[in-house]
Amino acid sequence: MNVSLFITCLADAVYPSSVGRSTVELLERLGCNVSFPRNQTCCGQPAFNSGYQKETQKVARHMITTFEDAEWVVTPSGSCATMVQEYKKLFSDDEKWQKKAEELASKTYELTQFIVDVLGVENVGAEFHGTVTYHSSCHMTRLLGVKEAPVRLLENVSGLTLTELPFKEHCCGFGGTFAVKMMPISQQMVDEKVQHIEETKAACLVGSDLGCLMNIGGRIERTGRPVEVRHIAEILNSRKEVHT
Amino acid sequence: MGKIHNKETFLSNIAGNLGRERRTEGVERPVWKKQPQQEVFAGASPVELQEILIKQCETIHTSVDTTTAADLPETLHQVLQQFGASSAVYWQDERFHSFSLEPVLDSLPESMAWSDNDREEMTAFAERAKVGITFSDITLAESGTVVLFSAPGKGRAVSLLPEVHIALIPRSTIVARMTQAAEVIHQMREEQGKVPSCVNFISGPSNSADIEMRLLVGVHGPVSAHYIIIEDA
Amino acid sequence: MSIRISNEPFDKRVEKGINDEFMRSAVSGAQDRLEGRKSDSTAELGTWEDWRDHAEEIRQHTLDNLDFYLQQFAENAAAQGGHVFFAETKEEANEYIQSVIKKKEAKKVVKAKSMVTEEIGMNEAIRELDCEVIESDLGEWILQLDDHDPPSHIVVPALHKNKDQIRETFHKKRGYSQSSDPQELGRFAREQLRKEFLSADVGITGCNFAVAESGSVSLVTNEGNARMVTALPKTQISVMGMERIVPTWEELDVLVSMLCRSAVGQKLTSYITGLTPSEADDEHAPEEFHIVIVDNGRSKILGTKYQSALQCIRCAACINVCPVYRHVGGHSYGSIYPGPIGAVLTPLLEGYENNKELPFASSLCAACTDACPVKIPLHELLLEHRRDIVEHEGGGFSEKMAMQGFAYAASHPKLFEFGSRSASPIVDRFSEKESGPGPVKLWTKIRTLPSQKDDRFRDWFAERERRKNDGENS
Repeated sequence: MNVSLFITCLADAVYPSSVGRSTVELLERLGCNVSFPRNQTCCGQPAFNSGYQKETQKVARHMITTFEDAEWVVTPSGSCATMVQEYKKLFSDDEKWQKKAEELASKTYELTQFIVDVLGVENVGAEFHGTVTYHSSCHMTRLLGVKEAPVRLLENVSGLTLTELPFKEHCCGFGGTFAVKMMPISQQMVDEKVQHIEETKAACLVGSDLGCLMNIGGRIERTGRPVEVRHIAEILNSRKEVHT
Repeated sequence: MGKIHNKETFLSNIAGNLGRERRTEGVERPVWKKQPQQEVFAGASPVELQEILIKQCETIHTSVDTTTAADLPETLHQVLQQFGASSAVYWQDERFHSFSLEPVLDSLPESMAWSDNDREEMTAFAERAKVGITFSDITLAESGTVVLFSAPGKGRAVSLLPEVHIALIPRSTIVARMTQAAEVIHQMREEQGKVPSCVNFISGPSNSADIEMRLLVGVHGPVSAHYIIIEDA
Repeated sequence: MSIRISNEPFDKRVEKGINDEFMRSAVSGAQDRLEGRKSDSTAELGTWEDWRDHAEEIRQHTLDNLDFYLQQFAENAAAQGGHVFFAETKEEANEYIQSVIKKKEAKKVVKAKSMVTEEIGMNEAIRELDCEVIESDLGEWILQLDDHDPPSHIVVPALHKNKDQIRETFHKKRGYSQSSDPQELGRFAREQLRKEFLSADVGITGCNFAVAESGSVSLVTNEGNARMVTALPKTQISVMGMERIVPTWEELDVLVSMLCRSAVGQKLTSYITGLTPSEADDEHAPEEFHIVIVDNGRSKILGTKYQSALQCIRCAACINVCPVYRHVGGHSYGSIYPGPIGAVLTPLLEGYENNKELPFASSLCAACTDACPVKIPLHELLLEHRRDIVEHEGGGFSEKMAMQGFAYAASHPKLFEFGSRSASPIVDRFSEKESGPGPVKLWTKIRTLPSQKDDRFRDWFAERERRKNDGENS
């Protein structure tokens, strides 16, 4: 299966390579042939969520063109996968681009969604020792409708104990530009999230969206809490030799 | 005939904003794509509906007795005693007569059937009566609701002002939910051209959670509600 | 009161909200409880998504034919002796209500809870006539006694007050001397208000849903105050937002069921009352029944991309799941309509001038959209507001430049790559506390930034491809 990786700007430009690396290795292990179209940039959410429609259209056109020839597009972000689904709404008065947007949407998947729904795999043969809790991101669960896949995959990781995060459906307070525009409110939200994470006593927080993880992880680090923060691709790519 | 003010400009403005001409006739409700309300307890027997009703009464802080038509006077007598009722106001409704309840009510130190003629006096009595007694016209199993249709002699205050509301429920009045009652009222409108001036759907006693979200039972209306189901009526 | 409840700037209101510990614990407690009850009561139906589809279809059909149904409603109400007044503005509505009160020479009005009467500032208009207005919903009465403190939730208006504050208010204003036990407070309110119901000249209610086919007004309460208000005074006035109407009793069933479950998790509230004007003087009905149908800015929402906001049935389900409301409380919105629906509706009714921040006070988590029983796409409408603000009101200049720059870079991969390459060391430099330019500083004020240390994914991938190719070639 030929997969074009949409790495997302956070995994590409802000985070170290580990998340992307894990995504590639994981997909390859599952038999996919992974390519990385170098022209890719960002899904456009920063502009879209701030109300800049025309600017978003520009970015969307570029993304659509970049992935035009892809067979499958997979991205380690529920939120960015959701944004790709939104592209068609940007071109409601442009039939040609709307059609292209729909084509891209129909072949774009969030990583865990792709593994479970397309590859039909629920156990990726990973091994990770420790208690983890999972933050289910808002866009991924509510807008993309992917709730079960990441949980199913984590449950099947050997050595991993999954404890449910209380109020798991609550937003962490990221919300893109919201995190800085409405910083005092965002702070209250992330603090409550961190408190709920601590209540689980899990040593590690796992999520499927680097936006949320950057927010929660950044707060955890600032306040000196001893919780490790990992992207789900890193956990699913863990093997015995790494974690013994 | 009442008056209608400013109708034309107001409604024309609405039509204008909707981007079309005024619609004054010919609008029909569509056949709704989904009607899940019809499926709730569909096919439940009268006995099953009664069980659902009784179970729901636990949730709505309402005590329930079941009895037969023959035993109803005695049951009502006992319930009145339980509530320490020395006064009661009840509807002028032929069902009180047909179920032979008048002797029970007459035996109380004070009791009155509602009369529309002296509204002030009746309201004052209802206000100090311990118990108000009504017959349910339609009873909703799902929500534990008695539906009361206003009519001459069936004053709105009887189920409202006294401290205790006792509703007498012939089992034949029990339906699944509000859906069936709404259909009856819709039919009334279709067939008689009007509906009762007051339709009350009452589910248990009055309550509030306005102070720190804590449940207070008995705020403005009755503090207690009690249902008596008449199984063979 | 009118829609606007504060002259303070948004940031100040938010700061106040965040620092009000009691309010916040009350709000989060109420949210958890109400949301829990709603989830249980909707899950129990097993077909909640079908209910939502049905309710949405009913609301859309009714709004699309609103002129027809309002006419049908008005004619049916008038045919049975009701008086119907269509008010385009709040002033017209208040003038009509004043005229009824004057004609009746009323000195005391009792009122059931109604958001639209708050919206039009009716109480103040009535007080101009030297006539008393008494709120009879327990929460609203508490707020009224406390020098007209504004409501902070559309279903539980005094949510922000604790029982000791309420005891103090009762003591100061009404000489209450018992404890702060809610049962005792409630009993006191019952005694006090009972007298008012019995002595009032006019009763005023809102309207949860009007029923077009019969000219009826329905009221949904738990306390029974709306029943008192309509059973005791001789004159009744019901004030309704013009969109609060259903075709027949059959649709009333669906929407009332959705309202009760969504608002408080009950199958039905204690009292659902359907009132229809009646010429017959034999049913203990009020002698006069007036219905005031209020536009007050609603009609200009019709036919726009925001029309679905008028589907709202005021259940507050969106408020009860909103993480922003959770932390800032109702007063921060500066409007009698708080939470997500407030952030959508307030700018539509009042304009952007004082409400520009509201659509941005959301993380777009879409919990509101999920919770809405009539399927208003609330988070999408917030986005539409953002677009309109940016396009017509002018977003901030620097933001606009930044977004244009972003869009340019994100559609020019070489530039994007260059930008992201230079971003990394910059980000690394500023990952510490409160440093960096503009938005970065706001980020790092409370959080650290990830540190990339020249370990970029695209470099790794390129290097790996190169090695793979080398391997194949050798």
